[in-house]
Amino acid sequence: MSGPFFWCIVALFALAGIGTPVALSMIVSSILYLLLKGQDIGLAAEQMIQGLFDSFLLLAIPLFITAANIMNAGTISERLLKFCLALVGRFRGGLGHVNVVANMIFAGMSGSAVADAVGLGKIIIEMMRKDNRYSAGYAAALTAAASTIGPIIPPSIPMVMYALVSDTSIGYLFLGGFVPGVMMGIALMILNARMARKENVPLEEPVPRSELPRLTMRAFPALMMPIILLYGIYGGATTPTEAAAIAALYALLLATFFYRAVTPRVLYNVFLESGKATASVGLVIGASLIFNYIVAAENIPAQVSTMMQGLNVSPMVFLLSLNLLFLFLGCLLDATTIILVIIPLFIPTVKALGIDMVHFGVTAVVNCMIGLITPPYGVLLFVVNAITGIPLKTIIGSIGPYILVLVASLLIMLLVPDTVLFLPKMFGYGK
Amino acid sequence: MKGALRFLYRRAEDFMVFLMVVMFVSFIIQIGSRYIFNAPVEWSYELILVTWLWAVFWGAAFLLTDKDHVKFDVIYNMGSEKTRRTYALLSAAALVIGFVVAAPATLDFITFKKIRSSDSLHIRMDILFSVYMIFLVAMITHYLLRAFRLIRGDSLSTLEREDSL
Repeated sequence: MSGPFFWCIVALFALAGIGTPVALSMIVSSILYLLLKGQDIGLAAEQMIQGLFDSFLLLAIPLFITAANIMNAGTISERLLKFCLALVGRFRGGLGHVNVVANMIFAGMSGSAVADAVGLGKIIIEMMRKDNRYSAGYAAALTAAASTIGPIIPPSIPMVMYALVSDTSIGYLFLGGFVPGVMMGIALMILNARMARKENVPLEEPVPRSELPRLTMRAFPALMMPIILLYGIYGGATTPTEAAAIAALYALLLATFFYRAVTPRVLYNVFLESGKATASVGLVIGASLIFNYIVAAENIPAQVSTMMQGLNVSPMVFLLSLNLLFLFLGCLLDATTIILVIIPLFIPTVKALGIDMVHFGVTAVVNCMIGLITPPYGVLLFVVNAITGIPLKTIIGSIGPYILVLVASLLIMLLVPDTVLFLPKMFGYGK
Repeated sequence: MKGALRFLYRRAEDFMVFLMVVMFVSFIIQIGSRYIFNAPVEWSYELILVTWLWAVFWGAAFLLTDKDHVKFDVIYNMGSEKTRRTYALLSAAALVIGFVVAAPATLDFITFKKIRSSDSLHIRMDILFSVYMIFLVAMITHYLLRAFRLIRGDSLSTLEREDSL
């Protein structure tokens, strides 16, 4: 490690540590590096601007954000919940199951866990809390945990970021997320069934079966969305980025003309909020581009790789230890930062050890999504707290078992790579 | 003064919405021209990238409040009010110094780009990339003002939740 790089890291930790926005900390510490190294400082701007301007793939991010915001502004989330209520609401802990199933379906349209928690979470928690049937901690923790499925079942914003730093096919990554996402859903439903018995929650009034066709029809156009998206990507019709645009257009047409739920004012706010979210994510991506440029110039990933191979660890031991590290970091850092800054450090090692890049990528994203609900720093905990007012302490007090079952699912995905790779292989991956 | 800032903030928001709508519409045109009319247009691709670049830095310059940023605030939140004020001041000072130091070389890089134009819209590259300079100046102004107010002793809770203007 050279002297300038040492000071760059010190500056980064010091600045980010005292609460400076992570993106700005990365930019300023990179500037410090270039200055100490005697290089052209304009390089920082060049790396960021050119990097953002040259990756068309990244455009999927603003579009997926916009699509999710349109669905939340329209009544699409609500219709989906009513449909799920008719489907699985009649069992004990029914609303809990509704919560998980709705999140799984919604995951097929949105690529952001936060968007899912905001869109579905608010409505479903209100339903669960009505007449105090489910305790506040139960409702909030389950909702936060179920939202983590959003970016696992395709589409997925974090996977787009992973594809960017690792040069892995986004199509295969998306496919790889399917089975893991369903596994997480099943794990949460098993836990929910247990919790419902333990808390002895009352049964829901079952929705008459005769209502099911009508509710399905009402939700049908929304249910078509994942199919359109998947057909676009895997039918070979469009690139994932274009599929994101089509999803946004479809959501817009649906909400405006079919459900008549969107006014110009609402639409203005949808685009404004999507723009702000885009700026926030885009800035972190831009900043990590210049930072990763420096890390690569210092040859750090290659050094890590040589060191790890020197240790002679088996690929599985390495993969498991890396996941422990990510889980630990997930308690402290944002998922975006882990994917864009920490993961690139290990990519050469992962490749050298012969670990499959799609398997690694999908499990790493699952890991980072669990990091969204691990305290003290868990974005989904904050979001649920912000939209419902349920105190953070109550949510954190109930979140333990949910983290545990998700980590158990992650462990199965790690030990049995085919849980991830089965679908991509069916579509020609690795041939 | 407040009213004028408010007005400018609204216009910055309008511009962001404009960028997002142009991005979205260009996408639709691009997909439509290729798959429906089988006559792909080239300019839409470039326009999408331009609006994306501008949305990121325009938003970061004017619309993101301090709490919209991705942050690691576990240590910050543990500090007393006095400690937090010191942290905030240190971080504002570091950002101002860093961005001021980078400004001349950045301006050089961007103005140097004027010799090239974009491929299909033929916009001069220095104009395209100027949004980064806007971002840099906005950051310097913003954090300079923040540092000034922290020293003057403005209430910390107001500073922690207010707009970026």
